[in-house]
Amino acid sequence: MRGVALAACALLASAALVTFPVWSAGWESSRYATTILRDMLILAIFALSLDLLVGTAGLPSLGHAAFFGAGAYAAAIAMERAGSDDLLLALGAAVAVAALLALVIGSFSVRTSGIFFLMLTLAFAQIVFAAAFQATDLTGGSNGFAGVLRPTFLGLDFNGPEALYQLVATIFILVIVILWRIRSSAYGRALVGLRENERRMRALGYDTTRLKLSAFVLAGALAGLGGALSGFALRFVSTNDVSLGRSIEGFVAVLVGGSGSLVGPAIGAAVVLYIERVLSSAVPFSETVLGLVFIVFVLAARQGIVGIGRAAYGRVRR
Amino acid sequence: MSPDVAIQQALNGISFGALLFILAAGLSLIFGMMDVVNLAHGAFYMLGAYVTLTLVQRTGQFWPALVLAPLVVGLLGLVVEPLLLRRLRGRHLDQVLLTIGVSLVIADVIGLTFGREIRSIPLPAGLDRSIEIGGSDYPVYRLFVIASGVAMAAVLAAVHRRTQLGALIRAGVDDAPMLAALGVDIDRLFARTFAVGAALAGLAGVFAAPVFGIFPGMDVDALIYSLIVVVVGGLGTLTGAMVGAGLVGPADTFGKVLFPQFALALIFAIMAFVLLLRPTGLLGRVRPAR
Repeated sequence: MRGVALAACALLASAALVTFPVWSAGWESSRYATTILRDMLILAIFALSLDLLVGTAGLPSLGHAAFFGAGAYAAAIAMERAGSDDLLLALGAAVAVAALLALVIGSFSVRTSGIFFLMLTLAFAQIVFAAAFQATDLTGGSNGFAGVLRPTFLGLDFNGPEALYQLVATIFILVIVILWRIRSSAYGRALVGLRENERRMRALGYDTTRLKLSAFVLAGALAGLGGALSGFALRFVSTNDVSLGRSIEGFVAVLVGGSGSLVGPAIGAAVVLYIERVLSSAVPFSETVLGLVFIVFVLAARQGIVGIGRAAYGRVRR
Repeated sequence: MSPDVAIQQALNGISFGALLFILAAGLSLIFGMMDVVNLAHGAFYMLGAYVTLTLVQRTGQFWPALVLAPLVVGLLGLVVEPLLLRRLRGRHLDQVLLTIGVSLVIADVIGLTFGREIRSIPLPAGLDRSIEIGGSDYPVYRLFVIASGVAMAAVLAAVHRRTQLGALIRAGVDDAPMLAALGVDIDRLFARTFAVGAALAGLAGVFAAPVFGIFPGMDVDALIYSLIVVVVGGLGTLTGAMVGAGLVGPADTFGKVLFPQFALALIFAIMAFVLLLRPTGLLGRVRPAR
């Protein structure tokens, strides 16, 4: 009974999310809200993909922007070179390139763990950043790649802001479903085992290096998906999308929201985007606020907003 | 490449290596003692450069910056460690995350105070000349950076090996809990180590300011280079920072001259190669899991 109710709630929430531009149409700021929500969902996809590493497998990657940016560039360049705006072509290119890059970087990085893993992913991502910066013919270098096409799919045209929002929301829900399936699978539990005690997993006969690499590639592919959507949304890809700043954004979203859950990174993404987009138009020191919020959460609420919520709920029930 | 260009580039590479050594030595020292990779290291470096900028703008003097900038940055380190890092002692990864927040705040406050455009300062008086080396002119300031790097290496090595502080640091790197059990005030030692490490980043910022310019984003560049240096050389040891800087500095410089498109790829190749052979760096300490 409870399962059915939950499923109904999830379906209802998904429908409400996808149809946001429709039922908010009466609002004065519906257009603006749709844009903000769209970018929150894109950042949420990025944060969720990162949390597969940070929260589920216990791999603190500080170079996740490499895959986000690779996806964004790959989708934009593939559409331009092929002279086509086909959605599957763009997303296929994004996921393939991001996954391949993750395979290369991952095969070096997953040999290490903890702080060393963090440093390595950071350093490798910075090399991707430099490559994007220097490959002017391909990426536009420091000017960025402007005029990214918006895709079409089976006669559906995602050029309009509402249609594009709905594409982003649909893919966001898809990513949530994929991650939810992973988490409840034997594979997902093995990843959690990796986080909790890698040596024991190895003793149990798991090939932990391969397990970690597969999670790294999967997370990279999903980040690439988010990057492609970001390119569609802004019609622009720049080196910001592969920068350390973007990696940090994702990490802050994961930790502020609460790592190791499906809701946490999404909530965190909303908080980060609110500070960077809404608050920044009111005060000049929004980055400082972001830094301070992050510091406070690491110091005092390591389980993030979700953790605070759980603790409060536990107190109420008792 | 003609011989005189080769000599020039070799000197450029060594002077960049000297700068990287000062920078990475601080990062390595903090890690060795506290098991924390200080990701605010680039921001500390940046702060050192901006203190230098302020000083040169206000007084026209460069030289006091060599003392003042490390002092300012060191004092900041002396505040950050007890105020923030100490609360999470033993949770190394969370401490590292904390330093990300610190770097965001420092970089943003600097941007708010000084603006976001590229600034530059002239070479300090007395060192703004060139001298002839191998048939062509070479800027004296870069030779000064080389000499300073070598001097810093000598001083740090002497402190490390000969003084009581050095003995405490060596002991702390080896086994901090045991040191604490022996009655050493580990809180004070950690705070000081962190401050000294930060001050070294600030000092590197002073040396870099007249050559590499002062701009938002310099913190990330410095952080990445120092991370690559310690990854190659091995974290936590002074000689590791030396070897790493000695390899990365010239490799980067020659890479940029010989194949400008692939300069970073070369550094990357070195890093990847070292990691394949020795995951803890060339001279990395293998530490027992804690």
